[in-house]
Amino acid sequence: MKLKLRKTIYMMGRYFLFGIVIQMLAFNFVLAEHDNGQDESIDAVLVKVFRGSTFQRNFSNSAENPSKSGSLENFLVEASQPPVFDLTKANNGVDANTKASEEQITRDDDADIIVTGQVLDEKGEPLPGATITVDGAPTIIGTVTDIDGNYSITVPEDAVLDFSFIGFESLLVPVDNRSQINVTLSVDMSSLDEVVVVGYGTQKRQSLTGAISSISSEDIGRVRGGATVSSGLAGKLPGVSFRMPDGRPGAAARVQIRNMGDPLFVIDGIQQEVQQFNNLNPTDIESITILKDGSAAIYGVRAANGVVLVTTKKGSRGDKNTININAYQGFQNWTKFMDVTNNSYDWAMEKVQADMNGFGTTNITKEDLEKYKLGIEPGYQSFNWKDFIIKKNAPISQIDINASGGSEKINYYISGSHLKQSSVLGREFTFGRTNLISNIDVDISERLKVGIGINGYMEERLNPGIPGGDDYWLPRYAILRNTPWERPYANDNPLYLNDIKHNETNWAYNNFKYGGYKRENKKYLQTNFTGEYQFDFLEGLSARGMYSYGIEDVLMDGHEYTYETYTYYPATGETPEEYRVTGGSTNPWRERETRKIEKNNSQLGLNYSNIFGDHEIGALFLAERYETRARRVWVHAVPATNILPLLYFNTMDRYDDSDFEEARIGYITRINYNFDNKYYLEISGRRDASWKFSPDQRVGYFPSASVGWRISKEDFMESIVSGNILNDLKLRASYGILGDDNIGIDPYDYLAGYTYNQGTGILDRTPIIGTRDKGQPITNITWLTSKILDIGADFSLFNGKVNGSVDYFNRKRTGLRGRKYDIVVPNELGYNLPDENVNSDKQFGGEASLSYAGNVGDFTYSIGGNLSYARSKFLSSYNPIFFNSWDQYRNSAEDRFQNLSWGYKVIGQFSSQDEINNYPVNVDGQGNKSLLPGDLIYEDLNGDKIIDDYDQRPIGYGTNLPVVNGGLNFVFGWKNFDFAMDFSLASMYSFTADNELRRAFRANGGNMAEHLRDAWHREDPFDLNSNWIPGTFPPNRFNQGGLSSVNKTSDFWMHNVTIFRARTIQLGYSLPVSIINRVKIQQARVFVNGYNLFFFDNLKDYPIDPEVTDTNGLQYPQNRIINIGVGLTL
Amino acid sequence: MQKLYYILIAILLGFSWGCESDEEFMNKPPNQILTVEQAFSDPAQVLSILANLYSRQFSYYRLNDWATFGDFNEAFYAHTQGVTNEFHTNTTWPFGGIRNFWTTWDYTYIRELNLFLERIETSSITEDLKTRYAAEAKYLRAAYYLELAQFYGGVPIILESQSYDFSGDPSYLQIPRSTEAEIYDFIIEEAESLKTILPADATSKSRATKGAALAMKARAAIYAASLAKYNNSITPSVSLSGGEVGIPTGRAEEYYNTALEASKEIIEGTAGSYSLYMKNPTNLSENFAALFYDKNANPEVIFADDYLLKYRTHYFTGANQPRFGAEEEEGGALNPSLNLVQEFELLDNTFAPIPTTDENGDPIYYESQLDIFANRDARLAGTVILPGSNFKSRPVDIWAGYQLANGTVISGNDRGDQRILPGKTIEQQVVGFDGPVEGAVQNAQMGFYLRKYVDPAPGSGQRGIQSEIWKIKYRYSEILLIAAEAAFELGQPDISANYLNMVRERAGFTIPLKGSDISLDRIVHERRVEFAFEGLYFMDLKRFRIAHRIFDGVSMTKENLLSGIGKATKRSTMPWGLWPYRIYNPGSENDGKWIYKEYLSKQVTGADNWQLGNYYSNISNEILNNNPKLVRQPLQ
Repeated sequence: MKLKLRKTIYMMGRYFLFGIVIQMLAFNFVLAEHDNGQDESIDAVLVKVFRGSTFQRNFSNSAENPSKSGSLENFLVEASQPPVFDLTKANNGVDANTKASEEQITRDDDADIIVTGQVLDEKGEPLPGATITVDGAPTIIGTVTDIDGNYSITVPEDAVLDFSFIGFESLLVPVDNRSQINVTLSVDMSSLDEVVVVGYGTQKRQSLTGAISSISSEDIGRVRGGATVSSGLAGKLPGVSFRMPDGRPGAAARVQIRNMGDPLFVIDGIQQEVQQFNNLNPTDIESITILKDGSAAIYGVRAANGVVLVTTKKGSRGDKNTININAYQGFQNWTKFMDVTNNSYDWAMEKVQADMNGFGTTNITKEDLEKYKLGIEPGYQSFNWKDFIIKKNAPISQIDINASGGSEKINYYISGSHLKQSSVLGREFTFGRTNLISNIDVDISERLKVGIGINGYMEERLNPGIPGGDDYWLPRYAILRNTPWERPYANDNPLYLNDIKHNETNWAYNNFKYGGYKRENKKYLQTNFTGEYQFDFLEGLSARGMYSYGIEDVLMDGHEYTYETYTYYPATGETPEEYRVTGGSTNPWRERETRKIEKNNSQLGLNYSNIFGDHEIGALFLAERYETRARRVWVHAVPATNILPLLYFNTMDRYDDSDFEEARIGYITRINYNFDNKYYLEISGRRDASWKFSPDQRVGYFPSASVGWRISKEDFMESIVSGNILNDLKLRASYGILGDDNIGIDPYDYLAGYTYNQGTGILDRTPIIGTRDKGQPITNITWLTSKILDIGADFSLFNGKVNGSVDYFNRKRTGLRGRKYDIVVPNELGYNLPDENVNSDKQFGGEASLSYAGNVGDFTYSIGGNLSYARSKFLSSYNPIFFNSWDQYRNSAEDRFQNLSWGYKVIGQFSSQDEINNYPVNVDGQGNKSLLPGDLIYEDLNGDKIIDDYDQRPIGYGTNLPVVNGGLNFVFGWKNFDFAMDFSLASMYSFTADNELRRAFRANGGNMAEHLRDAWHREDPFDLNSNWIPGTFPPNRFNQGGLSSVNKTSDFWMHNVTIFRARTIQLGYSLPVSIINRVKIQQARVFVNGYNLFFFDNLKDYPIDPEVTDTNGLQYPQNRIINIGVGLTL
Repeated sequence: MQKLYYILIAILLGFSWGCESDEEFMNKPPNQILTVEQAFSDPAQVLSILANLYSRQFSYYRLNDWATFGDFNEAFYAHTQGVTNEFHTNTTWPFGGIRNFWTTWDYTYIRELNLFLERIETSSITEDLKTRYAAEAKYLRAAYYLELAQFYGGVPIILESQSYDFSGDPSYLQIPRSTEAEIYDFIIEEAESLKTILPADATSKSRATKGAALAMKARAAIYAASLAKYNNSITPSVSLSGGEVGIPTGRAEEYYNTALEASKEIIEGTAGSYSLYMKNPTNLSENFAALFYDKNANPEVIFADDYLLKYRTHYFTGANQPRFGAEEEEGGALNPSLNLVQEFELLDNTFAPIPTTDENGDPIYYESQLDIFANRDARLAGTVILPGSNFKSRPVDIWAGYQLANGTVISGNDRGDQRILPGKTIEQQVVGFDGPVEGAVQNAQMGFYLRKYVDPAPGSGQRGIQSEIWKIKYRYSEILLIAAEAAFELGQPDISANYLNMVRERAGFTIPLKGSDISLDRIVHERRVEFAFEGLYFMDLKRFRIAHRIFDGVSMTKENLLSGIGKATKRSTMPWGLWPYRIYNPGSENDGKWIYKEYLSKQVTGADNWQLGNYYSNISNEILNNNPKLVRQPLQ
């Protein structure tokens, strides 16, 4: 039975089709309802209304209405009963053209007057659906505006009207006997009532007690900086460090929370990998929330580095059905990449300089130089490889179509999108992705809600098959490797690839025709089934459950073709002209990889929330199981031809098969309490178990607690608060213990025994698969624990126009894997003592954010900024042993910043041979014999007259993510125009220029980076005694790596980078509603958008994008993108 | 209807719960792990463990790491600029060798061998198999100790698996180094006892046999003997008071006797029928080359680390074969140097430089490129690919340029470049497609390519296919030369000459050496040319204590190069090349002929300097710190 059941469920989950059918049925149901002409329900309107702040204040805290306490849902049910509260039906349903029938219910006959008027927004557009109620009335009196924003209400003469609308500041207006009151509502900037997604639930922003930041769909959707979600996060969230070293099609950025390590990604409640996050369509994202402190502890097992929560759009109850179509087309160019000599004469001159500097002689003669200068003879001509390889304005485009809406019992969001990105390395290097998402929530009965969410993508990475692990490497390396006197085609005839001797960097062959192909297709499908049941025996208690099945399917096919390269022989008297095959590859490389990763996640729990007067209580108990299984097969063959696409057994020579499983179980509990929205307390705990550890070490407990105090609600603050200077101030603190099972051990390390398939022994011509002893089992290692303290404050000033928050945090990790060094066992024992949970480190810092929003007439603006700092320190290892004080100085990590870069200090450059000859310190370790004017002078810190390891000092920060991150955001609106600018700031990280950035002709004697031509050189390169002409860099030698100026890490080559970068700059124009309404379009907008348009940094000397990490500077940098696009709402 | 939904939801939520306990859920079965009992339960599984141990045999020269083959200026590193710099711009070797090539301290391997020997005792397989497998494991263990001994001298000899009891006092695990004599004694005794257990089967090449055990014994003994003899007389400072380094001189004779005895046992056929490879007596160079790749009933190979296509392959051929016509866009990583090439004697048993100039210093003009190498030891063309010869049925194209009548050279920037020669109007090829071009990587920058261990099979240079040439660990020729050396050192020069002549005859020498011709120079020289690129030269440099004289840190002039050929201590601090040029002098009789020039690459800037401390590899600080009973190597 058990098996059958599971099988059935798996089947259900597995088939997308099945999901689609269910959804189609559900969807038809919605449409059917609308076909019946039913207007939108009052409930649905109320849901919207209820989100507004005033309502809650007015009712739930009203002493006259004690009976209204209870869960929100119950309140809604009650509130919508006609005797208590009746609202005019608003026509924001699907049938928008129907004129509203206005119905008024009056409750009080005494001295009532009829007030009419119109509610407008700041732009003067009418606000349909705005709520008007009488403030403080013993019974609820209210109405809503119609499609034109008009209302009519019968109220007492002295009543005070409360105008409210979701997303706008509510307004209290005394009637004062007037019969017409027109009001303008302004947009609510305070966002206190915004609902924020937190672990296993949601909370209002005002009640958050943890360090939690979030960004909205609008903010993410504006960025069009590449194919992945992470690439758009630069400067957006306080506490998120960002660096995007690689910008190839489909590339993602490196993103961490507070530099704590790779975070956990949770998408719609399901733990996922970073690639699922990256491959969402940004348009489909409702919000991204990051849990930066103990609030992440509820995810226990993998949450020690923080959690990124993503919620996809779901549609809202009572929203009318809308269809959005967005499309843009962009053009990409590299932000910065090195130039090379592209003139043979320059190349030869530099080669002479380098030869003479390095060897004292050169093979190049003055006659040769003359020929290079003329550039006519074969072998002396020039060719610009960089221009040949780089195809400017590589296109990127996306189109997405989505539909969303809801009725009283159902809400939905369905979307499909397609993105295509190509590369400046040629249009055949591409990335494409199609996303489909379909979220539907249905009330099956009053108590039972179910939802189904299907979220999938298909991506394709397709490019020519090029030798080496990274197919994007050789095309880039070619820019440096190829010299200007080499040419891509024999006799410049494009039919014949020229044999340039290192043909793998002849870019002319890096295409489908000659090189072959590599195609990786990945499909991922996530299907979530959710259910929630409201019990009737206890108010506010509900059961919830979720089952999720995810499958990733990867098919990679690669074929590197054999190809031929030619040398051209011109016709002579005796022989005709000939293209002779003189090079190429006869090696065909054919590979195929298939991967299937299946994920099962199920959650089952109870949820309780209720309000007792001023006391609001919430509780959650949930159990979660998570398992994945990853299977992979890789085969390799040596096919007989380039043409046939299939693989055959007799040409196959490798078959790798693997199968891995993971399992984790968590039991989660959380209790929230708040008194009068003034004092908050949240306690949560998680018991987690991971399959990675030995059975008796599997379980870990991860509690956390946080408190909040809305000091602005205290009476003694009232004068400030009511003066609208300080509207809200909340102090909060949290402390949590989080776990991490990623401690560097492999699953089954706790088992003793033998591992099969370890090498192959050929014994008397017979291949025998090997088996190897596993080594000592590791049974004593368990979770590391990470304790995060966070203290912060959120505030809102000047009528909510200024909002901000500050945070300080300190994370201490104990139980990091390390060795007990006071017991050293001989290496001859044959195994290492198993590591234990002994080391500790800490991560500390803080962040602040501030925003300001307002308007001057038609001109609206908002300005936001954030700044964060997160640095780590190693605290202690277990009883470390040092051999001497220098060893301790140089090698100790105890209580020191982590990620320090050590190197030499440069105090100048030699200006003459005399200075070198008389210099008292042995700089190069060879008595300064290898030095030339322009070479670097290192500081002899210990004064022993020789530069060696003892003269190294910390000169830089880490080379990964920046310690300081920040962002600046501007959004402006004027009439139909909108304008937005985002900037990001990064600082306190180091970049070392090495290899091709440091040494001329480093690329196997190929070309040299242009900036190195600004080096010390001789006036007459052929004359060793001629004058030296100063330059920025030490004199070039022909790729000699051992010379002291280039073989040491020094602050000449290592730089502590600060970069301020423009990210999105966007200008949009919305077509006037009056025009587009005629063609039944609700909204139409066109925009121009630039990404990475410019930056300021302190790496001026080097032609690199300051975010690349490869020290040779040859990484595929980020792109500067210009997009134009259009958005339509139907 | 509504009930149906409830049931559906209940199923969805509950399916994986209730049926399976937390513990069951967490226990994901491993799919490649066997318990010790399972691993030793059947013969195939035990053999599988043994196969892993065989596949991890240590070799100082490793076919899957071609760079190990090239040091000591026997070759030039032409693979990439970086590698060239690494090997040719430094003067001194680190105590662990460049890239730590001279180190290994794999006591994990020893532990696994010990565990195997202990666990097989309790295995349920037949006693016969137990004995055989255990003997093979012991052979592998002794073989690894021999590798350790050659690098380090005495090392801790551990023959039982140890384990730490977590008592806080690990001192009982601290085993001191044996003396250098003890480690060789152990290997010799172990080999002696194994020879009666292991099969005397000359057709079994890649599993331990009696022949392999005896060969190991002979090698260990001859090494120990020469160390005893030469260390104290030449480099007495290279020793430790505890004998961890340094064998008493008095034991030399005993070891020489052991070596001679063990060699004779093989020569006399007690371990099966071994002989010199002689399948192609009409072309001795081809015959010598084939000895390394012919795996079919090869009578010379005693023991080899074997490879097999599709299962275990290496890319040595892809890295080193001639660049022009290679399957891939690479090759020519190692270029044998003129230093080595000129050591191959003339067939009249004399030594002479490769003749580039006549007695007046004028260039000698050759009709054909190969003429300059005429009448040399057949092993030269079997070890090195010479200009003008063929590989994989294709002529190699090695020439550095055209030399004009006035001595000017016209050449190009890269292999096969074209230029317009004086008096012509169209371009033509002015440099070989195989080079040499100064500073251009992966071509014959010394004028030669490597032939030994380079596989002539089609596809052997393809990244997808690679090569299955085996790494020969012991071959019959070494046994003959060990016997020759031992006999010479024991004062039996005629016997020595006899063994030496057997090897030399196969190399094409028709005039036998007489007992009076034998000298240490002769012995050292014969081993250098016979075993070039087999990893034995490094050990010979050390055991004869000649390395510090060969690599004296003095730059090597052309005069140095050309004098003293055949001397064991001849200076060789820089690799020299030999570049062919074609004469362009229309109308002259020499037009189109070949001349050669000795050439020192500009890339070679360091003159190698062997420090006495280099005679033993360093034991790293980490190893020393972890076992306080280990003594540091001398002069480091």
